[in-house]
Amino acid sequence: MTAIAAERYTGASIKRSEDPRILTGAGRYVDDIKLPGMLHAAFVRSPLAHARVLSVDASAARELPGVVAVLTGADLDAMTVPAPDPLLAMFGGSGPMPEFTLLATDKVRLVGDPVAIVVAESRYIAEDGCELVEVEYEDLPPVMSAAFALDPGSPPLFANLGNNVARPLSRKEFGDVAGTFAAADRVMDFHVDVHRHQNVPMEGRACIASYDAELGLMTVHAATQSVHITRNGIATRLGMDADKVHVLAGDIGGSFGLKIGASREEQAVAAASRHVGRPVKWVEDRGENLTVSGQAREESFDIRAAFGDDGVLLGLDVRMVIDTGAYPGMGGLVPSIVEAMLPGPYKLAALGFESTAAITNKATYVAYRGPWASETFIRERILDVIAKDLGLDPVEIRLRNVAARTEPPAMMITGRPLAGVTTRESLERVTQLVDYPAFRRRQAQAREQGRYLGIGVATFIEAAPGPRGPEGGLGMESMRLRLEEDGIVALFTGQMPHGQSHQTTLAQIAADEFGVPFEQVRVVVGDSAVVPFGLTGGSRSATMTGGVALHGTRQLKAKVLDFAAHLMEASAQDLVITDGNVWVRGDPESAVAVSEIAARAAAGESDGDVDAELEVEASYDGGQGGWSGGTHCAIVDVDVETGIVKVERYIAVEDCGALINPAVVEGQIRGGVAQGIGAVLLERSAYTEDGNFQSATFMDYLMPTACDVPRIEIEHLQTVPLDADVNFRGVGEGGMIVAPPTVVNAIEDALEPFGVRIYEQHLPPARILELIAAVRPRTGAGTGPGRLPGRAGQGPRRC
Amino acid sequence: MVDITLRVNGATRTGSPEVRKTLADFLREDLSLTGTHVGCEHGVCGACTVILDGRAVRSCLMLAVQAAGSDVTTIEGLAADGEMSTLQQAMWDSHSFQCGFCTPGFVMQATAFLGDHPDADERQIREALSGNICRCTGYQSIVEGVLLAAERNRERS
Amino acid sequence: MKLPPVEYEAPTTVAEAVGLLAERADEASVLAGGQSLIPLLALRLARPELLIDINGIAGLSGVSAADGQVRIGATTREYVAEESRTVADAVPLLAAALPLIGHEAIRSRGTIGGSLAHADPAAELPAVARALDAEFVVRGPSGTRVIPAAEWFEGYLTTARQPDELLVEVRFPAAGPGTGVSFEEVARRHGDFAIVGLATSLVLTGGVISDARLAFAGLSDVPVRAGAAEDLLAGERPSAELFDEAARRAVQDADPPGDLHGSADYRKTVAAAVVRRGLRAAAGNAAGGGN
Repeated sequence: MTAIAAERYTGASIKRSEDPRILTGAGRYVDDIKLPGMLHAAFVRSPLAHARVLSVDASAARELPGVVAVLTGADLDAMTVPAPDPLLAMFGGSGPMPEFTLLATDKVRLVGDPVAIVVAESRYIAEDGCELVEVEYEDLPPVMSAAFALDPGSPPLFANLGNNVARPLSRKEFGDVAGTFAAADRVMDFHVDVHRHQNVPMEGRACIASYDAELGLMTVHAATQSVHITRNGIATRLGMDADKVHVLAGDIGGSFGLKIGASREEQAVAAASRHVGRPVKWVEDRGENLTVSGQAREESFDIRAAFGDDGVLLGLDVRMVIDTGAYPGMGGLVPSIVEAMLPGPYKLAALGFESTAAITNKATYVAYRGPWASETFIRERILDVIAKDLGLDPVEIRLRNVAARTEPPAMMITGRPLAGVTTRESLERVTQLVDYPAFRRRQAQAREQGRYLGIGVATFIEAAPGPRGPEGGLGMESMRLRLEEDGIVALFTGQMPHGQSHQTTLAQIAADEFGVPFEQVRVVVGDSAVVPFGLTGGSRSATMTGGVALHGTRQLKAKVLDFAAHLMEASAQDLVITDGNVWVRGDPESAVAVSEIAARAAAGESDGDVDAELEVEASYDGGQGGWSGGTHCAIVDVDVETGIVKVERYIAVEDCGALINPAVVEGQIRGGVAQGIGAVLLERSAYTEDGNFQSATFMDYLMPTACDVPRIEIEHLQTVPLDADVNFRGVGEGGMIVAPPTVVNAIEDALEPFGVRIYEQHLPPARILELIAAVRPRTGAGTGPGRLPGRAGQGPRRC
Repeated sequence: MVDITLRVNGATRTGSPEVRKTLADFLREDLSLTGTHVGCEHGVCGACTVILDGRAVRSCLMLAVQAAGSDVTTIEGLAADGEMSTLQQAMWDSHSFQCGFCTPGFVMQATAFLGDHPDADERQIREALSGNICRCTGYQSIVEGVLLAAERNRERS
Repeated sequence: MKLPPVEYEAPTTVAEAVGLLAERADEASVLAGGQSLIPLLALRLARPELLIDINGIAGLSGVSAADGQVRIGATTREYVAEESRTVADAVPLLAAALPLIGHEAIRSRGTIGGSLAHADPAAELPAVARALDAEFVVRGPSGTRVIPAAEWFEGYLTTARQPDELLVEVRFPAAGPGTGVSFEEVARRHGDFAIVGLATSLVLTGGVISDARLAFAGLSDVPVRAGAAEDLLAGERPSAELFDEAARRAVQDADPPGDLHGSADYRKTVAAAVVRRGLRAAAGNAAGGGN
């Protein structure tokens, strides 16, 4: 790997500059902000999944002391402009868009659908006010499954669409599908389901909108992954110019894809602020977050697989149905990414793919860490089943399927080059870290004692940011860099960290490139008036932002050296910067502090020939980009009397190129794996057949804890460098993408004596016992009420 | 409204909260101590954990009026004279956290736990922290921070 | 989720508390630890008009031993009972169950009386009380009553306490020689409510089970004694076959609830496993010296 200049920080687990405030309670999250005259909002929400709204009477609520305003859906309609979801507006939807109002006016389409906003002196009073708003509903039959949604007889949620199909069925073929299937040794059919689960950041959605009527300026304190997309969403809805909306973001308590753009509630809060002429704060509570903020992953797949007797997967023909919930979100975009990624790092020669998106009375499908993750789940699941069918070892079958690393690289049948993909190396490394023969002996002994251990592997690649391919580039990442008057190297980026530690990692790169101590770099984020456009998401920042930081710092340094050369009466080529000082190579006595250079530039010490404006606007196209990926392995212990599964050991061999900060990389991987373990063993966003949401508290939506997630052993492969300087690739999503099939593969291996085959992702204890036929399977999507505190069942106990 | 007096982070504080106001909201809004976070308001996630009369408690499950006369320590009260506690420093060194939202709850719970169980092993630490939810880290870095703090405390004594 | 408006009183004596209960009865809720009640209020599922905070009543907490019983004041914090030497020595089943209650922070505030008055059938303490035939001392306007556990748990979250009565003390029998106990439970995660739990207390005399007490958590709307299993075990020597048959009999007539976390059938299957494991552990403790 090509060395970066003065490699002191990059590659080391430098302590985070975020932590002093985080660890001492000095972080500044939206709910920590108090503005003069600030009011609080709460929403009146539908108790029904699907209903006509006959009337809304807010008179009693308006009378309640402390309530300042109540705005119904109709009120808000009159004071706002119809606008599409800002994220969809960016990426473009296809087909007719459903028509609906900002808050519900004529119809509610899910439990929790907001009907009115109450603005009051405190959140307590706002909630009291919500209880006084009288809404008359006329119940409609709820559409609670994709199957029913696709039935032309299901009542349409949106009058203008006429049915509940968000995206009509569309089919694409890559390679010779018919020929491949005709010639294959074997063909097998599968049906695989992935269940509904969701992001659940520890901080929910939150914003403060503050409208200044005199200036016609809307200031928004937001919890968001992009201040600019939030700005656009609010500006459009309010019919304001974007430059009249100023979005600020400080510390954000996680997001995992949830907080992008401006939700309907946030748009309503902004409208409310403009209406009352005072700042209005809304902080969603956990019930709102679980019920309406958004959900993900509910997809089903019919798969036909063509393969050889040697286990090589030759072709796949896949039909995907995605349950996108009630209101449009990015769910409609997911199938095309699934399609593109399905071949994975394997030699797949033919792919047929068709998909349809269904509209149901559930929360909107939102982006959740690796939204396309099901492609890895189905691919890695069916490979295991095929392996068993052929009597092949799961590692062996994958080694036979991995595309060889060639130059030029092998192409995925869907068009992307597998440049620098080290799947083979990661598989082989896993077999070195796990003594398979020893495990098989231990497994056999355990079975004799009635204990069921299992081992599973799965491989993945993620486009982090993805390779530069024949069909196009990786987009552009911008950054403004400036040597401030006091000698601080300031990086202005549109990245909006919410746990990714950018304020540390980008500073590491800049400090190395410029030659200043880490503490002399400041990363500026979270101000739509100050930073360039950006979005933290898609595991792009390591490459795109790392790259623009690296190259931008070089450009800034060149400018600074040109100016310094003039001051120091030397030639720029003879100047070096180390430890915050500029000096003439070979003459340490000549050293001048960078801060002094900066001060003198700010003071105007220039003869006019040299640029004393020590600032650059840089952009970076991602260079060669690249893939991240690897192989994960899990060992589980399944209690077949109770169905309880423990993950005993978990190994991640990964390749993300060069690491900016190993501790940060490992934290991302472990967090993603924890979410994957949670998805399989604990987490489900459950609805009853009549539309009630059952997982509205943490007693029913179960999150993995420190007793559920084992130590995760991580090895980094130093990989094929694709670029002279920027070989950092992202790891944000990989853990969450590959952990579910890893764990499910291990569970199926544990249950081999029972002949279990698993075609689903959610395996709570009751389901484990059903699979091994110890218990009669029960029908229907989750019967019985969800757990409330004090009711028998799950959730922590209290007295 | 009930007038209450209590000690918070070593200082006497007073307030007149509504009876129904939780201790968590009182600390955050009335005393402007926003370090204590609210993650669920039904006592499961642990983000609101403070130390009250020597014990870790969930401040979202107490009324502010119930804390009258008590001695409360919040995350803002751990650093002495601007110097982080051993645990805070160890967590910094261990890269324990990412987004930081769960952090105050973990730090207070771990502080209370280590005070009573200075020689706890990893399994015991994980059990003690299993009532705090983190969505970002997968817990290993947090546990390592606590183990490091325990080790440093032992070296010191 | 903010609490709805509510009145608040903090009596300093039992008489005062009883007076308030007599006056406000059905409109009032007693606030002890708050670990169950406050979430209900925050979710606006419970709407009492008045909270009677009994934490300030002197003499209502504490652990003492007298007349072959361990007496625990209603507002005794769970962590205090957990740390109590008296409880550890004389009521080992209670000592076994306490660490399973939620998490430390919950036990910092939660009370013995509060849990038993709340009477969640999936909680540990009701099963312990039912297994040991604990006694519940309530004070009302007309005086004091002592209610045996068999009569205390009437239905889901419902006890024999009248609206104008206050639970002031719970009494557990002190364990005799040869006692072995276990609290076995299956929960989704460490600290969660039991899907099914079992409080077991066995007395072994000369290698023979002379007393067997088994009470389930999570199998019904109240904690239930596994009477048929207890009858089978009495007078027998511990063995795997005996415990298998006891498990079969214990779940035979069970009619557990089904919900998001498990069907009725699942609970019965798990209950049988819990009986086998619980009996094995309790017998092992008794053999190893027990009490």
